[in-house]
Amino acid sequence: MSLSSAITELHSIAGHDAVLDRPEDLMLYEYDAGVRKSTPGAVVFPQTAQQISAIMRVASAARIPVVARGAGTGLSGGAISQAGGIVIAFSRMNRILEVDVDNQCAVVQPGVVNLQLSERVAHLGLYFAPDPSSQKACTIGGNVAENSGGPHTLLHGVTVNHVTGVEVVLPSGEIVQYGGKAADSYGYDMTGFFVGSECTIGITTAITVKLLRKPEAIATLLGIFETVDDAARTVSAITAAGITPAALEMLDGWTLRTIEAFCHAGFPLDAGAVLLIELEGLREAVEEQAIAVREVCLNQKAREVRRAKDEDERALLWKGRKMAFAALGRVSPSYYTQDGVVPRSKIPGVLQHIGDTAKKYNLIIGNVFHAGDGNLHPLILFDMRDADQFERVLCASRDILQYCIDVGGSITGEHGVGMEKRDMMCQLFTNEELDVMASLRNQFNGDEILNPEKMLPTPRMCREISGASRNPVLAQEGM
Amino acid sequence: MSTTVVATRVGRELSAICGADHIAEAPPERILGCAPSVSVRPGSAEEIAAILRFANENGLSVVPAGGFTQQQGGKTPAQIDVLLYTTRLTAVEHYDAADLTVGIGAGCKVAQLCSTIAKDGLLFAADPPLWELATIGGLLATGMTGPRRHGYGGLRDYCIGIRFVTGDGRLGKGGGRVVKNVAGYDMMKLLIGSQGTLGIITGASFKLFPSPRQTRTFVAVFSTAAEALDFRHRILRSPLDPVCLELVSPEAHKLLVPASPAGAWWSICLRATGSDAVLARYRAELGSALAREMEGENEVGFWRKAADFVPLACEHDPDSLLISFAAPLQDVQPVLATVEEIAGTHGFSLAAIGRVGVGHLLVSLSAAVGRQLTKTDFIATVSALRDRLPPDASMTVLHCPPEACDAISQLRTPTHLDSMRAVKRALDPKDILNRGRFLF
Repeated sequence: MSLSSAITELHSIAGHDAVLDRPEDLMLYEYDAGVRKSTPGAVVFPQTAQQISAIMRVASAARIPVVARGAGTGLSGGAISQAGGIVIAFSRMNRILEVDVDNQCAVVQPGVVNLQLSERVAHLGLYFAPDPSSQKACTIGGNVAENSGGPHTLLHGVTVNHVTGVEVVLPSGEIVQYGGKAADSYGYDMTGFFVGSECTIGITTAITVKLLRKPEAIATLLGIFETVDDAARTVSAITAAGITPAALEMLDGWTLRTIEAFCHAGFPLDAGAVLLIELEGLREAVEEQAIAVREVCLNQKAREVRRAKDEDERALLWKGRKMAFAALGRVSPSYYTQDGVVPRSKIPGVLQHIGDTAKKYNLIIGNVFHAGDGNLHPLILFDMRDADQFERVLCASRDILQYCIDVGGSITGEHGVGMEKRDMMCQLFTNEELDVMASLRNQFNGDEILNPEKMLPTPRMCREISGASRNPVLAQEGM
Repeated sequence: MSTTVVATRVGRELSAICGADHIAEAPPERILGCAPSVSVRPGSAEEIAAILRFANENGLSVVPAGGFTQQQGGKTPAQIDVLLYTTRLTAVEHYDAADLTVGIGAGCKVAQLCSTIAKDGLLFAADPPLWELATIGGLLATGMTGPRRHGYGGLRDYCIGIRFVTGDGRLGKGGGRVVKNVAGYDMMKLLIGSQGTLGIITGASFKLFPSPRQTRTFVAVFSTAAEALDFRHRILRSPLDPVCLELVSPEAHKLLVPASPAGAWWSICLRATGSDAVLARYRAELGSALAREMEGENEVGFWRKAADFVPLACEHDPDSLLISFAAPLQDVQPVLATVEEIAGTHGFSLAAIGRVGVGHLLVSLSAAVGRQLTKTDFIATVSALRDRLPPDASMTVLHCPPEACDAISQLRTPTHLDSMRAVKRALDPKDILNRGRFLF
């Protein structure tokens, strides 16, 4: 079957107003929030799991690759189609199907925007905990595919810790259920396996998520430091003091000045770095922890520790944090970000390495990240029109990820592997470990009709890469 | 070929892999009465891989084992060619207290790990039964948790990395040693609770927690289960965030605290952590519902017993039927009512305990005084419970008298069974691991 006859089938499955195939329309679906592009052959907007099942059967028969797409806010190319493939877009499956207050959960369609769910249940004193910085736009379906995080995952965990059930359309077209409204279910944890599988096992069509009760008290502190190093050391000093903040974010001086110029969040312009620390829970416990955190910060040479005195001040500090990426748009045509992870105690070292990398490649790199988790977000500025500079950006980014791997970390904490970090999987896993993962994928998606060439590298990619590119500096240090 | 000859050949092959010192032919262990031909204690993941490849080539069945605390579940295996212990894999793979993470070999005992990290003021959140014997590998394979499941989450929430050997002898890995990591499939989720049917776990990494400086347990008592569960709901809607929230039935209380005066009370036990001010707040919120408090050794002992409920119930009555339920919060009460009704019909007396704030319920059914139960009573009870289970709930039979265990279906779950079978095919295509014990 050709693409054009497949498109005819898509029209009859989803309706005539539910398929795009003109080049000018398809252009809007060729990219995500990362740096890669590829133009699909068709975009279809189904409204039911049954339609998606029918689409999968057509695509399998025609051997046309398929990818699911939420809001396209991903940073790793997870939602980018193969050239000429079919994009299943979820903008018409955006209903909250059920809010079950007594069971503290909700059932949503994948196209529901992350923040909309929390807004919808706010009057009940509930919220959905995963809060990616893109939460005003990103969809819960995308969060499930990538196992997204956010600042408050330090205390509450990432998406997988909040999903108890999924309805899934398998590449075969079969519609199946994993888990449900119970916090756990016996047998293999297919729900946990599915979350974060980057659309390589199936497409979710309904998601059961936990809703948390809003905490009674919240304290938001801003620790202001003269140097990045002092702030970095404070991160493990806070956890060593027996305190688990709800969020523990770090912004370096360059980044906070850029943000301040954009949205006046109240960050000090002359600081070397700040820590944004949030505590939540029982009133009495939060007060005690706020005092303890202030003390730890001051012991680690904080210049000052401020505390948001009301909800407005708190909202402003968070606005500054969440607008960081947008603020960069004012100072650079493009930016590239990675989300490598290091053990918490290695944060001072990795920030030093990022600084050295910026010098080595003559680039500007800002840092705004989930320090409490050791989850970095180095923001590398560049101009796409400068091919040489872009090449240096990719090299710098690789250097940083290699450092993360060498100190016992990972190449991605919340953005996913997608297209962009596929080859680096060979450094993190052996061929045999990747083969174990591939054998699982092949049971469900053996023809790779669904999201091919994502996440898992081919054995050939690993052979070509093996042995190369160990970080020479670390190799000398014997790490 | 006679069994003896096969065992000898297998013994020779295994000796070549791990050394004769680590092999025992015709060992004394029994799993539901079934005798393994040989037991082996390999010293590395590579040796395990070699054993499993050999088992695949020869179609042998392999039963993985750790502290042997949970081996009485499932059906009677037709044959066990190799009983494979992971108890020699005890090395600490990584540990830096400042990272709040640890990586440890599967053979390390849970209590040993806890004492290793306690000196740094850290807590390993899992509190499984028989923690002094239970190993990390067995803990993960059985997915056993205890009362701390309420406040710290389950293994799936704090196991951050896993190393294992697949049924077909490949060295697999998921996650790593950092607390946030989405690179590759989440293999931890598949291996946790897989009952040793997908792979043999060789090591794992965990997120650790700061040890609380002070804890206190508050007990509220009620005359019916329904009232106790209403109270649970009140707690869940309050700002209180206890680390444990346990329902204890009157019969369960007798098992945990045999010396206590008999009473027909259903209790909710809340364990709180924090300063004096925080504990005072608990008292204020609980008000007149608060019957008594436990602290110190008394408190620690109570929670250890609560974690040991399953072995305590089995010791009390080796012919008891133990079932674990995981249900949506509002289904706990109907599930419990159904259990009470069906137990009554078949002449069982019921002891129940559970982390009801997360929908967990453990029930032990044993013959009521003066009743003689038959195999049919056990089979009919399990089958009636399965039939009447709410759609989103799941249940698994943890223990059952041997004469009945082969005739019951242990598992009921809302999850698509063919997808589970696909996972099994991917990792253990020849059905080497725990063959015939845990069927879907």
